[in-house]
Amino acid sequence: MVGLGFRREFAEEMISGEHIRPDFIEFAPENWMNIGGYWKKMLHRVVEKYPVLCHGLSLSIGSPEALDKEFLQYVKTFLQEYNVQIYSEHLSYSKCDNAHMYDLLPIPFRMDAVKHIAGRIQEVQDFLQRPLVMEIVSYYTPVAAEMSEVDFINEVVKQSGCQLLLDVNNIYVNAFNHQYDAKAFIQQLPLDKVAYIHMAGHEQVAPDLIIDTHGEPIIDPVYDLFEWTLQHLQPVPVLLERDFNIPEMEALQGELTRLKTICHKQWKLKDELVA
Amino acid sequence: MNLLPDTYHIQQTFSGYCRTGEKVTLPGVAPDRLKHYRRLVFNMIQDTMENAFPIAFKHIPAGKWNKMVKDFFAHHACQSYQVWKLPLEFYTYAVENNWEDTYGIPFLNDLLAFEWAEMEVYNMEDMPAPAHALTGNWLDTPLVLNPEYQLLSFKYPVHLVAKPKALVQQKGIYFVLLFRDPETGNVEFMDLSPWLAFLTEQLVMGITVREILEYAPQLNITDTTTLEQDTLAFLKHMQQLHFVLGFQS
Repeated sequence: MVGLGFRREFAEEMISGEHIRPDFIEFAPENWMNIGGYWKKMLHRVVEKYPVLCHGLSLSIGSPEALDKEFLQYVKTFLQEYNVQIYSEHLSYSKCDNAHMYDLLPIPFRMDAVKHIAGRIQEVQDFLQRPLVMEIVSYYTPVAAEMSEVDFINEVVKQSGCQLLLDVNNIYVNAFNHQYDAKAFIQQLPLDKVAYIHMAGHEQVAPDLIIDTHGEPIIDPVYDLFEWTLQHLQPVPVLLERDFNIPEMEALQGELTRLKTICHKQWKLKDELVA
Repeated sequence: MNLLPDTYHIQQTFSGYCRTGEKVTLPGVAPDRLKHYRRLVFNMIQDTMENAFPIAFKHIPAGKWNKMVKDFFAHHACQSYQVWKLPLEFYTYAVENNWEDTYGIPFLNDLLAFEWAEMEVYNMEDMPAPAHALTGNWLDTPLVLNPEYQLLSFKYPVHLVAKPKALVQQKGIYFVLLFRDPETGNVEFMDLSPWLAFLTEQLVMGITVREILEYAPQLNITDTTTLEQDTLAFLKHMQQLHFVLGFQS
């Protein structure tokens, strides 16, 4: 299954299905909760047409302070109302000192942070009565790290029991920005925990820095890393994210088709080998 | 909480930098990389405010506007987990901190309130309309109004005039009705006279047009010869615009 992030900019096109037809859609509950009017109608129309996965923005699992239970209750109700099959979030924090930042800030790679986050993930999973799928985020500088990024992620997964969202573009971006081997990094992850994949484009802003913008087409090296990664995974849903600089639908459909072709090739091959 | 005080402090320092842009020292952090976080976070806040308040953004000098947004984000702890609701906090912060005087923009509160109301009414949760009939007696049957509306009063006609110089010369009392068309979802707004604003308030409470008209002399409306006719014409027009939905059944 290859899906596309649902955005207001191309809602009509996705509902008509004429020029773009993903296998499923994904959206952030925060962008659609507690709204009515035109966009609620559009949401209902698109949800009738496609299976839905949700990718949250404001949970802020890495926050020092307590979880927002009122927010979680809204999320729970929303996920039930729209029959959402996967709820994923970011392994980062976006709220501190009781103030939302509306962006993904990097968590210090430290053991006390691991324990703190693992406890919070378990709390969320218990509350929502479903596994939380945590995305490995792109980051531009480590912060007061006392352990490696991959050890940090492995410990969080081990201690919390969460699943992973592997954003292949993020791994590419991080490997470039922090000068490590993306494939070696992926091989060290608990790949049996990967429940979902994201793919996106990015922008290089300096000779040594890429920003994860979701505003450009996926580049070939990221497709290559994606294809290599699939060889090490069981089939899971794959999502194309495009949030800015929206192209013609034919171009987005082209990216979906390319992703789907790679999935079929790699996962069909794997099935044949197993058989 | 399992976080050690040092880790907690580091996270606070990092997020504090994103809010203020003021220089910090953090272990293991590359300063030239850190600045991108401030840029990305603050761009999101700027974009959100520009999109929510396009008229204010266009007519307030850029220096003042940027100072407002910076001040807001640095000193206000943003509470909404839905970014589209953040402009309400910006407007509230402006009122609480008396920005009209601080920045010398006497119509600021009205303008921010008007622009926010447009967004709020557009996005507000669906409200079921009470049961109603499409025909009835305009004078004696209580009317059913579209519940998705806001009635606001302003000192300046920010809903009619955009240019600051013209606005400040027209200080008075203004009323504006905003409502969401149930068919299109679009927000319509309309300047109301004090009488029509009063009428709308009373209709919402289920009072009949005849009873409201009887109250006119107490509002110092002495010329009542055409009042009934004009009032009914207004209401019939509002029915065409889907604000008056019908008659209580």
